[in-house]
Amino acid sequence: MTATQEPKPKAKAEEARIGVYVCHCGLNIAGSVDCEEVAKFAATLPHVALSKENRYTCSDQGQDLIKADIKEHKLNRVVVASCSPRLHEPTFRKACEDAGLNKYLFEMANIREQCSWVHLHDRKAATEKAKDLVKMAVAKAGLLEPAQEIEVPIIRKALVIGGGVAGIQTALDLADTGYKVYLVEKQPSIGGMMARIDKTFPTMDCSICILAPKMSDVGHHPNIELLTNSDVADVKGYIGNFHVKVLKKPRYVTKDCSACGECANVCPVIAPNEFDVGLAVRHGIYTPFAQAVPSTYIIDMGLCLNKDGVVVCDRCMKKCEREAINFEMKPETAELDVGTIVVAIGADVFDPSTLLNYGYGKFPNVITSLEFERLINAGGPSGGHLIRPSDMQIPKRVAFVQCVGSRSDRSGRLYCSNVCCMNTIKDSLLIKEHWPETEIYVFYVDIRAYGKGFEDLYKRARREGVKFIRGLPSEIIEDRSSNSLWLVGENTLQKELYKINADMVVLSVGLEPRKDSELVQRLLTLSRTQDGFFMEAHPKLRPVDAATGGIFFAGCAEAPKDIKDSVTQASAAAARAGILMARGKVTVEAITPIAFMEKCKVCGLCVKVCPYNALVLNKDLKRLDIIEAACGGCGTCAAECPSGALTQSHFTDEQILAQIDAVTEENADKKIVAFCCNWCAYAGADFAGVSRMQYPPNARIIRTMCSGRVSPKFVERAFARGAAAVLVAGCHPGDCHYINANVQTQKRVERLWKKMEAQGLKKERLQLLWASAAEGERFASKVREMQAIVDNVSHEEIDKAKKVFEKALDGN
Amino acid sequence: MPARIWRKPLDADKMKRPEAEVHIIEDNCKGCGYCIQFCPVKVLEESGNINARGVHPPRVVDKSKCLICGFCTSVCPDFAIFVTEKKCQDGCEK
Repeated sequence: MTATQEPKPKAKAEEARIGVYVCHCGLNIAGSVDCEEVAKFAATLPHVALSKENRYTCSDQGQDLIKADIKEHKLNRVVVASCSPRLHEPTFRKACEDAGLNKYLFEMANIREQCSWVHLHDRKAATEKAKDLVKMAVAKAGLLEPAQEIEVPIIRKALVIGGGVAGIQTALDLADTGYKVYLVEKQPSIGGMMARIDKTFPTMDCSICILAPKMSDVGHHPNIELLTNSDVADVKGYIGNFHVKVLKKPRYVTKDCSACGECANVCPVIAPNEFDVGLAVRHGIYTPFAQAVPSTYIIDMGLCLNKDGVVVCDRCMKKCEREAINFEMKPETAELDVGTIVVAIGADVFDPSTLLNYGYGKFPNVITSLEFERLINAGGPSGGHLIRPSDMQIPKRVAFVQCVGSRSDRSGRLYCSNVCCMNTIKDSLLIKEHWPETEIYVFYVDIRAYGKGFEDLYKRARREGVKFIRGLPSEIIEDRSSNSLWLVGENTLQKELYKINADMVVLSVGLEPRKDSELVQRLLTLSRTQDGFFMEAHPKLRPVDAATGGIFFAGCAEAPKDIKDSVTQASAAAARAGILMARGKVTVEAITPIAFMEKCKVCGLCVKVCPYNALVLNKDLKRLDIIEAACGGCGTCAAECPSGALTQSHFTDEQILAQIDAVTEENADKKIVAFCCNWCAYAGADFAGVSRMQYPPNARIIRTMCSGRVSPKFVERAFARGAAAVLVAGCHPGDCHYINANVQTQKRVERLWKKMEAQGLKKERLQLLWASAAEGERFASKVREMQAIVDNVSHEEIDKAKKVFEKALDGN
Repeated sequence: MPARIWRKPLDADKMKRPEAEVHIIEDNCKGCGYCIQFCPVKVLEESGNINARGVHPPRVVDKSKCLICGFCTSVCPDFAIFVTEKKCQDGCEK
């Protein structure tokens, strides 16, 4: 939609009729706050038509009372002072709607989590603070505007990126539901990591035997269009309406290929086969493995003698009876319109050659667990014989080293890779199955056999005589003559040093984010955790949703996980994407930007800071298009606008300024004006309340969706009104709920600090805090720390700040 | 599927590669250099010899690299080069 509305008329505050409900929440609030006094105080505030207190406002009776009052007393705004809006805002909004009042005309004052529970032993101060919080809510409520949520249609097609087992399962589930699915895979065949593994734990099923039928289903499914050897090149659009460009690299072999393999037999060039981790060779024309889907062969043009269109060698072409080889094939771009996207790009394995003490890459008989899988696999380069690469002999003593590239500062990967413990136990049993006399040692930190059937398998391995030794080797030394290896380290259970000889060492390598996850992150505007895996919208309750609407995760892209968990998550992602597509439309919360074009100077700063590409500026036409469906609702554009031409619906400048004014009306010099983002800092403050962490009652929290909404003029206004200190709090960098909007927060605060220093103000009066939803203590201790700043700030300093920032008092 | 590849493949030695014999008829060569330029595996280079036509004919650098594609024969304007597969009577295959 375009944003060329007239400037909004000043909210008709004089017509507002506000009903205030102060909740006792049993004794949760009434125990520390004099609710009667708060209600009496509320009645004296402007535009308050009635003020009541009750025991449980969220109960059916409490809600019925609000509904009845709206009708009887013609209330047009409702304020409930009770718990956190993160808990009951939807409840009360629904009650208002039931009574015919637009849900955006409701406001909450959080006097439980952020007042009574954190000031349990100071009834007077808690009551005063509760009054302030109600006053702020009433001030904002007077300026609230009704809003309509817009509906966006959803295209009933899905894109799945990645054709490992997670991508395969998601594609099959969505296709079986009846949706068209595009499955894009970078490699020549789908199958991913699972296709390379020999057996799966804990049941010891043959991996490819259970995967191949699924791969074949994908190849034949009428609803699935398979794009292998292809890369996602560009993604534009938003939930329900993505436009995707996929680059299809040429295979140089057409679909007429019958996979007879005659061509490969005559091909004169060879290279290590990536599928076998380089343990076997392939030809220039090849298929990565026997069960590949599609089964069509592919020519590696980097290897083929025919370059730049000059056909030097045509042996494969001559041999192909079906004339399926075409050296003229060119890359193609497929353009797809889809409603939902599932990211199932999987994980890479850690490269242990960076850990020099293990000698991988130098000692031939030190192998990785992935190489082991290919060696033990009957379809692998050694036909299922576990052989030492140095002399092709079957080893008598095998050692496994756990946590290689996991849980370690040295490798830089601090997380547990989830699958390696069980994989090693499975591998040790596979060796015992074929060569029962083999001595097996497993060097570990902890054995994590946490899943269904895992402990049984662990016990079985111990029964079979696998020796588990706690304490990783500090070094692996090679015996030059025999290429055997010595493992040296400390057994931390027996507190003794060991030096153990092995014919072969298997490094149980961890999983790490795909090298190209940064590209995928950028294309789809996603966020990643510090480990580099993609971050879900909520770790508990929305584990497969991305924070960006319409995008979901499956498999190891989100975090390392085993096959079962990947498949479970894949089906979950398919169901979540299916829900959106079945509904066929989506509503967008009405917290999107509002533009006043006559003030706009067409500078384009808002476009630059928008994390969602939701703003499109046409400089010639002086037109700002706001794509509401793409907007995440952070409001950082409004904070960035230097000419006041943008504001955020439901969090308008004048509403927030009214809240600031309400806080600073009395005793401003004793108070902290705190701006907290809804998702992390505000939630962290709530968590401090839930945990009953006590902190001084001087802070007044103003909730914004993102700390990126906090415009410098809000901070200036607080100081101009005499506030002792200001706190701006948001999510940790990299964890921003709005991708990276809090980067702007930091920039703005730093600019304000500079300004304060230049004007001779103590910059410590403005604090910036990163606190997650789980860091209640971090929030509480920040407030405690700031108490000292409040106590020490002198009247002169406050007056000076008032003067420096006096311009901020102009206008709303 | 990255995962660094550094080993010599286990079956690398088992891959039979026919041995080539490169035949250069030096005096037919007019020194155009096409064979050197177009050989996809760079088996040939210019030699220091001077032939009957007063030019430098090619010489073989590394015979084992030759894949017997025969492209040198195709591009030679003077029929001065051809490649044959070495006949193995008593096992040139190791």
